[in-house]
Amino acid sequence: MRSGKVSAARIMKYIVLAAIVGFVVLLMLFASGSSKPFEEVAKPVRASLDTTVLAEQDASGLKRNFGLNASDYSGVMYYSAESNISAEEVLLIKVKREDQIQQVLDAVGDRIETRKRDFEGYLPEELQLLEDARQSVRGTYIFYVSSSKADDYFNTFSTSL
Amino acid sequence: MLFSSITFLFLFLPIVLAVYYIVPGKAKNIVLLAASLFFYAWGEPVYVILMILSILFNYFCGRDIRSHEDDPRKAKLSVMFAVVVNILILGFFKYYGFLLDMLNAVLPADIPYRELSLPIGISFYTFQAMSYILDVYWKKAEPQKNILYFALYISMFPQLIAGPIVRYADIEQQLIKRRMSASKIGLGAMYFITGLAKKTVIANTVGAVFEEISDMPAGSLSVLTAWLGVFSYAFQIYFDFSGYSDMAIGLGKMFGFDFRKNFDYPYISRSVTEFWRRWHISLSTWFREYVYIPLGGNRCSVSRNIFNLMVVWTLTGMWHGAAWNFIAWGVYYGVILVMEKYVWGASLENMPGAVQHIYTGIIVLVGWVFFFSPSLGYAMRYLLAMIGAGAGIVDAEGAFFLLGHWLIYLLAVIGSSALGMRLIKGALKAFRSTAAQMAAAAVIYTGMFLISVAFLVSDTFNPFLYFRF
Repeated sequence: MRSGKVSAARIMKYIVLAAIVGFVVLLMLFASGSSKPFEEVAKPVRASLDTTVLAEQDASGLKRNFGLNASDYSGVMYYSAESNISAEEVLLIKVKREDQIQQVLDAVGDRIETRKRDFEGYLPEELQLLEDARQSVRGTYIFYVSSSKADDYFNTFSTSL
Repeated sequence: MLFSSITFLFLFLPIVLAVYYIVPGKAKNIVLLAASLFFYAWGEPVYVILMILSILFNYFCGRDIRSHEDDPRKAKLSVMFAVVVNILILGFFKYYGFLLDMLNAVLPADIPYRELSLPIGISFYTFQAMSYILDVYWKKAEPQKNILYFALYISMFPQLIAGPIVRYADIEQQLIKRRMSASKIGLGAMYFITGLAKKTVIANTVGAVFEEISDMPAGSLSVLTAWLGVFSYAFQIYFDFSGYSDMAIGLGKMFGFDFRKNFDYPYISRSVTEFWRRWHISLSTWFREYVYIPLGGNRCSVSRNIFNLMVVWTLTGMWHGAAWNFIAWGVYYGVILVMEKYVWGASLENMPGAVQHIYTGIIVLVGWVFFFSPSLGYAMRYLLAMIGAGAGIVDAEGAFFLLGHWLIYLLAVIGSSALGMRLIKGALKAFRSTAAQMAAAAVIYTGMFLISVAFLVSDTFNPFLYFRF
């Protein structure tokens, strides 16, 4: 009876260890960031953007729309539509410290809610873009996209890491 | 989820407390466990899986170790396996990027690697898990049969994210049976409010001053500004971390647990040795119990004792983070403590109290420079600014910071000594009857709570400093 219990504990600890290893492998594949410099990650994303719709914004645009200071981060790439009646925008940020991640996510969340209120009731297509907006935290990189080509931009970001 | 957040204070905590006290005895642990997993998953929806796997792994390891009690060799192999796996998991998440950065610094070409964010609280819960494994191996505690109780020990939300690191042997009985009463809930609330005020009123305010000073180039700081910067950081880290610990201890009491204190007015110490008996007590105790004493402690030759101390302090530095400044900080304290023990400790004891305080203060403040600096180069430039190699003795910025914040510094000085608590207790003693004292205490703590919430509402996102460790 006792040896049965012993074997169970021993077997279980190896099974759990295998699960931990598997979990870490999955993390590395689907949730990890990259040690690459910001420009190396931003370059392919920038190249993939449809610049007939999106225009690069400077630090004041980031401050105005997200309330974030570009100088607080290792790198910022922000594109948004020139037109006020478009919800298209792409934001890539590399944070300096991990405790900045939540700050950026909160700002993105607020931005989405504000834009939803802007479009609610009169521009359903733009509202849908915001409903389908994608955001991802990969290590120290944070990516947010609201666009009709969101999936393409998102895939470019994932492969650029 | 932060303790110092509106969501926690007005939603999560009241709901969990209400459900906890409504459900019958045996279900209380289940409620607390479910709340703890929810609390962790709120901030770490992915890494909660890692924590659950760590709980399962250590639970089965504990059972396996005890199953070998008749075979010491197998028991030793089993405990070594468990400890090594725990260290590898912690090491992977905490140090693998640092190690690859070091490799990249010496190799001719960069090895790109995949970065993973550090799971919040992993250093704390891994140390708790190792405490369980080692306590079971040394027969200081029985292996926990109920996996829910063990999961609660590892994941209990009051101290999950930033400690205190609770040793299993200290809490084993409380997991099964603990005393709950209205007075204990009241005491817990007082601890919690004190911690909340420390964090929101003092730590965040002096932290904002430190942020401004640390954003300036170290070489452009006057002596006054540089010292104000390091004082601000010293107060920020003390009130931030001891505030968190007070909140954790208070929450523990509200749920019937008694955790040991983690801070005991460290800035009133008369030596660095005493400082470390008063600062982050649970970490120092952990290293003493599970590293220093097993290495031989001080019951050995002088050279071996020095080696043991240096190992412990290098590890203490590394525990705080994967960066050279933390290692330098740990080694710095190792050297100072060795010197106090074998060179100048006896002489120090014969000096006037004021000299002892100044000596300890300077050593600790210099230590904080290493601790907060992003690089060793910055630390050296900052230290040089503190002795006048920056922008002179006094400048407009320094005077502005001092005149604009003197009140908060005064509050910080009072609060970091026993004087603050003595003043509150003295005020309460002015009332003769117990009922009047209780009413006065209720007014004082309600006032502190309201002020803290006011600071909280007007403040930006301010996580605890020790979350990053």
